[in-house]
Amino acid sequence: MTKRRMFLRMVTASLLRRRSRMLIALLSIGIGATILAGMVTIYYDVPRQMRAQMRSYGANMLLMPAEGETFDSERLSAALQKLPADALVGASPYRYVRLDMTSRQQSFTTAGTDFEEVQKTSPYFSVEGRYPEAPREVLVGKAIAETIGVKEGSDMELTWQPAAKDASGSAEDDRVPGAALSGSAKGFGDAMVYVTATLDDQARIAEIQIDASTQTPEYGGRTAEDALFLKQFIGKALPLEMGNDVDALSGATVTSNAVVEALNTATAADAAKPRTTRYKVTGILVTGGEEEGYVFMSTDDLQALTGEDRLDVAELSISADEEQLNAYAAALTGDGVQARLVKRVTKSETAVLGKLQALVFLVTVVVLILTMICVSTTMMAVVSERRREIGLRKALGASDNSIRGEFLGEGMFLGLLGGVLGAVLGFVFAQVVSVNVFNSSITFQPLLLPATVLVSMLIAAASCLMPIRRAVAIDPAIVLKGE
Amino acid sequence: MALLELKNISKIYGELKALDNVSLHVDKGEWVAIMGPSGSGKSTMMNIIGCMDKPTKGEVLLDGEDISRLPGKRLTDIRRDKIGLIFQQFHMVTYLTAVENVMVSQYYHSMPDEAEALEALGRVGLRERAKHLPSQLSGGEQQRVCVARALINHPELILADEPTGNLDEANENIVLDLFRQLHREGTTLIVVTHDPEVAEAAQRTIVLEHGRVAREVVNEHFVE
Repeated sequence: MTKRRMFLRMVTASLLRRRSRMLIALLSIGIGATILAGMVTIYYDVPRQMRAQMRSYGANMLLMPAEGETFDSERLSAALQKLPADALVGASPYRYVRLDMTSRQQSFTTAGTDFEEVQKTSPYFSVEGRYPEAPREVLVGKAIAETIGVKEGSDMELTWQPAAKDASGSAEDDRVPGAALSGSAKGFGDAMVYVTATLDDQARIAEIQIDASTQTPEYGGRTAEDALFLKQFIGKALPLEMGNDVDALSGATVTSNAVVEALNTATAADAAKPRTTRYKVTGILVTGGEEEGYVFMSTDDLQALTGEDRLDVAELSISADEEQLNAYAAALTGDGVQARLVKRVTKSETAVLGKLQALVFLVTVVVLILTMICVSTTMMAVVSERRREIGLRKALGASDNSIRGEFLGEGMFLGLLGGVLGAVLGFVFAQVVSVNVFNSSITFQPLLLPATVLVSMLIAAASCLMPIRRAVAIDPAIVLKGE
Repeated sequence: MALLELKNISKIYGELKALDNVSLHVDKGEWVAIMGPSGSGKSTMMNIIGCMDKPTKGEVLLDGEDISRLPGKRLTDIRRDKIGLIFQQFHMVTYLTAVENVMVSQYYHSMPDEAEALEALGRVGLRERAKHLPSQLSGGEQQRVCVARALINHPELILADEPTGNLDEANENIVLDLFRQLHREGTTLIVVTHDPEVAEAAQRTIVLEHGRVAREVVNEHFVE
């Protein structure tokens, strides 16, 4: 048997056969290690989790067009490619325009956005009803809803007025070969019917498209799809006479007349024209903020209404600390886009997490000190309890270093056991804290086990220093004539 | 040839002279008993012979080497290499088995060897009890383990401090028989005792009184 094996045999025997005292030391190291491992896990894991939670306070980065540039969905998705997918919580595009509600002679700021993304970037939005899902569905801010008295399920008609500069030419002048024309006329129930047409090289109708979405779907609405009805326009020269050049679609006389009138008054399509669409209100938006004064619709609907693919701003919610956010912002800026942090959100987030980490750190240090005191006291008691044994060992020829080695060995062995125990229990502890306090589960860090064991062993060793000093000072002569 | 020689040693604690100009000569292979009432200086003498204390004055020659001025570390080495100790209170490591207790002595001396330790236990008749903890052994058995522990490293000198003080007569005889055996094998024995019967088993008895050697008695009935 080698000396090392005898050493291990003595150390383990001391721990295993003197259970009660060693159990206390083991327990204190174990508890210390548990809290250490737990706190370290919380220290590193929870900020990551909480960052995701804190994203519920809203977007922390804005993307805007750079000076003199325009911003659109293409540029937005190009910019988002530069972000790591797991960091991006959501990105909501916004386009703001004033739309008129003719029937009320009021106008509202309308935001075109992506509702799926809005739910990610602004989870605090509360909707009475539901978010729009289908085309031509809108969300109305609570303030507006109260003013005009719309409810979930109501219809509302919104009109887009182009900027005044587009004073269009006359219908006759625009009917030139190859022209693209568009026009509108009042159809059933005074709702607008829109027609676009392209002319061939002899200025006859080559293609026609009808937007009768404001009309009753089973009657006037069919004019947009009925192939026979549409076909009779092809090859005709404008203006058209109803009943002579074309026949009305049965059951849709009013709409058919509107289509003809729209064609006859159609002017060049590139000249913007006012446009009205009927929308269904799917929900009332309650935020407690300025959003309650807006109407929200999908970017597609707004684009269909205005004919423009443009964005004013995109709100990004990114799970990262302030330093990383700054790096991302720098990476995103360029290509006609500029990014900027929402300071109010990032600053408070950083402050809260910083304080949390400082608290966790402090608690950890205090616990480590308490553990050291506890282990040290226990080992001190162990030394006095084993005075005779230490004296005997010295009388048998143990050198001071042997005595040091044996106590250090016992301490480190305790540290090892306590560390393993603590790493496992600490993970459970952190998991429980995390689930109960932060509502998020944590992932096990494989490095935590060796780190905890190492720290526990070091703490155990450090705790043994004083007791070892006392053990070394014991006089071997106490074994003689001992009372 | 002298294994141990004390030359005019004194041990003075302040005013108190625990040992006062004591000389002693122990030959290799000799069996000497030291007797005396409490306070006679027995313990002090024992500590000095056992390399656990140093005299204030005088020389201590062990195997020809003066150990009276050696530093503590060297004394530990000499104690480990040359002296086997047996105590009144046995002093076993409570959480180690009988054989492990013997091996502790080997461990500090050189190399633990379980077979050899078991053989030593066999010599004191405790082969069967080798795996027992001290709490499972009687006093006599514990003292026999201590004898095995003391002789395991083949020391030049076995120093026994009241070895039978806590034993009944039957066990006392067993221990004395073991001593006789060791003596026959040429081991030098110094036994400190109160008990005249134990002293009579030795070849020679030194009686201490007030820190001095009061008289020396040669045991005429000593049987080899």
